Amino acid sequence: MLMETIDFSKHKRVRLMVMQGQARVSGDPRLELTTVLGSCIACCLYDASNNIGGMNHFLLASPSNDSGLDEHYGVYLMEVLINEMLAYGADRRMLRAHLYGGANMSSGMSWIGTANAEFATSFLKAEGIPLVSQSVGGPSARRVDFRPYHGQARCRIVDNSQAPKDLPTPKPREDHGDIELF
Amino acid sequence: MTCAQEKTRILTVDDSPSMRALLKHALTAEGFHVDQADDGVSALDWLKENECDVVITDINMPRMDGFGLIEHLRKGAIHENRPILVLTTEASEEKKAQARRAGATGWIVKPFDAVKLAAAVRRVTH
Repeated sequence: MLMETIDFSKHKRVRLMVMQGQARVSGDPRLELTTVLGSCIACCLYDASNNIGGMNHFLLASPSNDSGLDEHYGVYLMEVLINEMLAYGADRRMLRAHLYGGANMSSGMSWIGTANAEFATSFLKAEGIPLVSQSVGGPSARRVDFRPYHGQARCRIVDNSQAPKDLPTPKPREDHGDIELF
Repeated sequence: MTCAQEKTRILTVDDSPSMRALLKHALTAEGFHVDQADDGVSALDWLKENECDVVITDINMPRMDGFGLIEHLRKGAIHENRPILVLTTEASEEKKAQARRAGATGWIVKPFDAVKLAAAVRRVTH
């Protein structure tokens, strides 16, 4: 991972951008994860008892024009973040969540932000992960800064021109889902 | 119409309720009978009282992970030859090799494709 190449000892504060499709996890008090969201969702998870936190950033598309989101892929993206948290030593029972994004900025995709926010909220509820703060929906882009060690998040409204374009998160390679028999 | 007893019976083991729901929906639609457990310990408890044709297990789970579950099952004569497929977000060769050593039958990296997963189940049960 990118963070493994950073020499934290040389910095008082390291800011790392979380791009769409990524999940970043850390337990370093100097790290701040940051991202800019339009329709996309960023879920920040943290375990205060172990000082470990992480953020993902995604936008789910509809598998067809008239149905709901590709929730299967969304579950996968959330599971990647949770598993990365557990691999760093987090306790699943202690996980808490912040949720940001899901704006409806463009008329052509007016429902997609709301639908992504609803997916994320439903996922957290189903998984029994308490949602301690959120700022979702509305017409405006957001910038989120999250300190994983402390579990502290800051969300600010920014000009919509700063948000990335509403392109669904690219899926993994085509060979995902292939079986390898031993 | 095929009754439940004639269908291939799958036990899926995953700690995520969301993933369990997706698996149940996908595999039921493919014509399988699906039972579920939320970790390795629950799966072993279920298998003491019930039977299945295939186990599909995640790796990262509380109490007993997928590796532990496979090792436990392979120790018993009843489950010695039962197909066990690993379905995981883990993509590392090291983890795959560990699953193979533990006695897994196959390895699938999430996100899964329902048609491919169903084909894999049919392949290991026929």
